[in-house]
Amino acid sequence: MTFSGEFLAFMGIALVAIIGGVLLLNLTKVVHMVVSLIFTFVAIAGLYVLLSAEFVAAVQILIYSGAITIIMLFGIMLTKHNDEHEPKTGKWRKILVFLGVLGFAAAVYLGIYNFNIEQVPTTLHENNTMQIGKALYSKYIIPFELTSVLLLVALVGSIILAKNEKKEADDQ
Amino acid sequence: MIEELLQSSPGWANFGIFFLLGAVLLLIVLGFVTYGILAERKVLGYMQLRHGPNQVGGKWGLLQTVADVLKLLLKEDIIPKAADRPLFIIAPVIAFAPSFMVLATMPFTDKFQFADIGVGLLYYIAVSGLTTFGMLLGGWASNNKYALLGGMRASAQMISYEIPLVMSVLGVILLTGSLNLNDMVEAQKHGWFIILQPIGFVVFFIASIAELNRTPFDLPESENELVAGYHVEYSGFRWAFFMLAEYVYLFAMSALITVVFLGGWLAPISFLDFIPGAVWFALKFSVVVFVYIWLRATLPRFRADKLMEFGWKVLLPIALANIFLTALIKSLFF
Repeated sequence: MTFSGEFLAFMGIALVAIIGGVLLLNLTKVVHMVVSLIFTFVAIAGLYVLLSAEFVAAVQILIYSGAITIIMLFGIMLTKHNDEHEPKTGKWRKILVFLGVLGFAAAVYLGIYNFNIEQVPTTLHENNTMQIGKALYSKYIIPFELTSVLLLVALVGSIILAKNEKKEADDQ
Repeated sequence: MIEELLQSSPGWANFGIFFLLGAVLLLIVLGFVTYGILAERKVLGYMQLRHGPNQVGGKWGLLQTVADVLKLLLKEDIIPKAADRPLFIIAPVIAFAPSFMVLATMPFTDKFQFADIGVGLLYYIAVSGLTTFGMLLGGWASNNKYALLGGMRASAQMISYEIPLVMSVLGVILLTGSLNLNDMVEAQKHGWFIILQPIGFVVFFIASIAELNRTPFDLPESENELVAGYHVEYSGFRWAFFMLAEYVYLFAMSALITVVFLGGWLAPISFLDFIPGAVWFALKFSVVVFVYIWLRATLPRFRADKLMEFGWKVLLPIALANIFLTALIKSLFF
């Protein structure tokens, strides 16, 4: 078996993504969990780059690891952040869960190994930013506009929430 | 050359070449940081009618920064007892790594560029946003109220000003029709975008100062309110990493402004083409860095609430109006 550069990059990025996910579940402090989540998000962006979807990768970093995790961090830091986990569960349950995970992994591995996807040559990777733009503004224009209305509603809603709070504070 | 390397089969030789190229770029950047800091201190000094460093390394203080860095390396590494140890250690790394990563897509000349990716500009903005985590986590992990406030301010400011920053380059993107930095330089053959997009340039420049956390927008480390902001508890080499990240961003942002608005490696007038592109790039780049230092010496610091108001109520509407105007001009005249 030969190791191509793409394979090595994939292994590295996939490992970071999985380790980030495992740490997210296993760490005890909430802020540490968010940090491992950042690593997972960035690694997923790396996987998009390997699939030649550069635009999606940049947006993934901008939105997920940039905006969403910052909001999570702000929320955690401004609330009670010293919350520790509940006590660990028993030994037998751990072993059973481990066996279950092992069985699931084996089932997924067998399923994917024998699954045959027919490879069709496409031009999706060329100029994909332009292709996304064209598709978004011609074929999917109605869902796109609906999303913007949804976002506008969310924006107005959050402004009203913030305004009410100020009025109450003034009254007191 | 990079394209060939990327397509060739992987091996230790290939790895070595990439490693060497990266190390060379890192050394260039470190050289810039060393003398950028000295230039800043000298220019600030002369603007305030004093000399600046003039003892170490001859009349011009040429070894002053080297001596400072040596001092930082030899300093004791202190980690506060109440700090969150793993985060405290990893935060400077998270802050520095993206600042070097953004340089990968920067076209210094038409040949000297590492990655010619289609979404170069978006990549820069997305990856530079990751540094915010380093500052926020560093401030939080220090377990110090000033540091936490500084970190919070840093992230709030950087996120608020990222929006006008992106909106102001949309005009350039509209005129170029591409997010690729090489295409942007090519599109400036008949006129730099600073002339075609004056409003966009002014908004971009102001927002970029805020992104760089420099005076008049250096609220995250305003020393008379917050001691030193998010890096109060840091000392020695870990502190040096935060400073390094800041100056590497100065390098990257000046390079980005040169590429996007000042025509990159292109000569201003076509008969000056015989001078190599690298020289032009360096000249324009130095002018941008000088303007940053000049503004630092000239302007006082913003107030925290005014800062947010300015970003959201002044810069963002102007940037949106600029997009509208550019779209109108493009559809009418081009």
